[in-house]
Amino acid sequence: MSGLASFLGDYTIQNVVMGATLLGIVSGVLGSFAVLRQQSLLGDTLAHAALPGVCLGFIIAGARQIESILAGAFVTAVLAALVMLALTRHSRLKTDAGLGIALSVFFAIGVVLLTYIQGTGNASQGGLDAFLFGQAAAILRSDLVIMGGITCLSLGLVAAFWKEFKLVTFDPVFAATQGLPVALLETVLTVIVAFAVVIGLQMVGVVLMAAMVIAPAVAARQWCRRLEHMVVLAATFGVVSGLAGALISAAGRGLSTGPLVILAATGLVIVSILFAPQRGVIWEEIKRSRDRRQLGDNQVLTTLRGLARQHDDPAYPVEQGMLDTYHGLGTQRALQRLQRQGLVHPVRHMPDEGPHWELTASGHAAARQVLADLDAGGR
Amino acid sequence: MRLKADKAIGEDLHEPSLAVHVEDLTVSYHGKPVLWDIDVDIPPGVMAAVVGPNGAGKSTLIKTILELVKPTAGHITIHGAPYRQQRKRVGYVPQRSSVDWDFPTTALDVVTMGLYGRLGWFRRPGRAERERARWALGEVRMADLADRQISQLSGGQQQRVFLARALVQEADVYFLDEPMAGVDATTERTIVALLHKLRDAGKTVIVVHHDLQTVQDYFDWMIILNIRVLAQGPVEQINTIENLHKAYGSQIALLEKAQPMIGQSRDLAARSAE
Repeated sequence: MSGLASFLGDYTIQNVVMGATLLGIVSGVLGSFAVLRQQSLLGDTLAHAALPGVCLGFIIAGARQIESILAGAFVTAVLAALVMLALTRHSRLKTDAGLGIALSVFFAIGVVLLTYIQGTGNASQGGLDAFLFGQAAAILRSDLVIMGGITCLSLGLVAAFWKEFKLVTFDPVFAATQGLPVALLETVLTVIVAFAVVIGLQMVGVVLMAAMVIAPAVAARQWCRRLEHMVVLAATFGVVSGLAGALISAAGRGLSTGPLVILAATGLVIVSILFAPQRGVIWEEIKRSRDRRQLGDNQVLTTLRGLARQHDDPAYPVEQGMLDTYHGLGTQRALQRLQRQGLVHPVRHMPDEGPHWELTASGHAAARQVLADLDAGGR
Repeated sequence: MRLKADKAIGEDLHEPSLAVHVEDLTVSYHGKPVLWDIDVDIPPGVMAAVVGPNGAGKSTLIKTILELVKPTAGHITIHGAPYRQQRKRVGYVPQRSSVDWDFPTTALDVVTMGLYGRLGWFRRPGRAERERARWALGEVRMADLADRQISQLSGGQQQRVFLARALVQEADVYFLDEPMAGVDATTERTIVALLHKLRDAGKTVIVVHHDLQTVQDYFDWMIILNIRVLAQGPVEQINTIENLHKAYGSQIALLEKAQPMIGQSRDLAARSAE
């Protein structure tokens, strides 16, 4: 126990854990909107677009000063968001193309600036490229204050404009008829992702930030039926993966935190895609095979009823082999299931012939219901 | 139009006796006219069908009236005043395919969205709003599906949710974009009955409609559109083969029997309109 206490008492580990928590909350909440607005790659673009800002912040401050670096990152990320919006609104480019163009142009400028700074031989430039992959251990308590402020600001914005953001995400055209300033709200929802990016820069870095915006939201989407729940669960998933990454990295030797956070988030995505009820792959597979079985049973039922009516004999015995031929597959199992439900029962017709089946009274009723449902035109 | 919009309602009403008044409207996308110099007048209290082949500009007309699309030229009033002053008096049912139905929300929540504009900033929908939304869902016979996830609704049920969302707006003029497209018979009956009820209560209902067979039965006013307005007025005067021929071209004889031909007649119709 004292081992754990001293472990958690470690200054660096405390900082990393708190940073990971803040990052998880913000990227989960803001990522939910980005994913639902089909702008999953927004985080990727804005994170890459933060790199020139990081460099400019460094150049202007003349040193590795976190405030100016984060401010620079925020400014160029927002700029990239606005460029992307302008491209998609005023040209025929689609969102993905706009995101791709903004990403590559801004990132290229960032790399140019980075190499320029490295060429100047400025002694304090060391570690600037840590922003590419994050360097969680370098987070200071004072950085956390900034990150906490940004977190509060983002959550406050989402809470204040909750219903407007929801409507603009679901149905922007209807939102416009409700008198909402749709273009402005969409701009805010896009630009706000820059907040998550700024928080994530030190934690996971430019390159992996995309996953931090997408993964918790995608995983949460699998389990939730309401946006309210999805946002909360996405934040929870973000925090869980942040903590998992931070703690594994602290326990292991020299494993860097950022990639571990992303791997944890990805693990949650895989579990969610496989196992979530209703939407999970396994659930859907089970439902599909159950539906298929039900359909087969119903077909056998209606065939039996059709034949009984044709022969004007409610208890007309039908040979199983004939049913097999008629349906082009084995009906043995379907008949057994129907027998267990009391809808059919086997009859002995001729001693040397195969098994025969007839509908029971409730079998006739069930078959009638199936046909009536069909006539009602499905739904 | 811009200048007039700044004046108070009632100060300068233009054609106040008309529910919808469209004058000299031209709309173009990328330099190609979608609507060309059209005039449309719809009196209050009618149920009007907007018909025409694909690409005739039916949805564009509605979107322009609702200021979702900017016109190149023209002038539109609703009950005598520009739309932005009459927003609260107008209900809108967009095409069902215009949203992603996989969005995580319930039928009741979507209907409540119809009240967001009225609520204004920073106010959350409360008990009164939810009651109102439940009532509207009852009107479209969906009361028992209020808490259903919208992705699990059938197409017809989704359409009825959209209609309920417009109903809570308690508008005087309703615009519906293809509400009967691809829905089941139950939904179509429910929608038509409800729209008739609205009209009988004195509301104006304007519907983009694709099924020429049912125009006569459902509607009492008709606008035939193909880039230009080819005919408009009471349905019994307007719904003639000659008028439809102007919009749909020579395919109209076949249309009488084969509805699916409408989509394919577009090019022919466009050519014959030139």
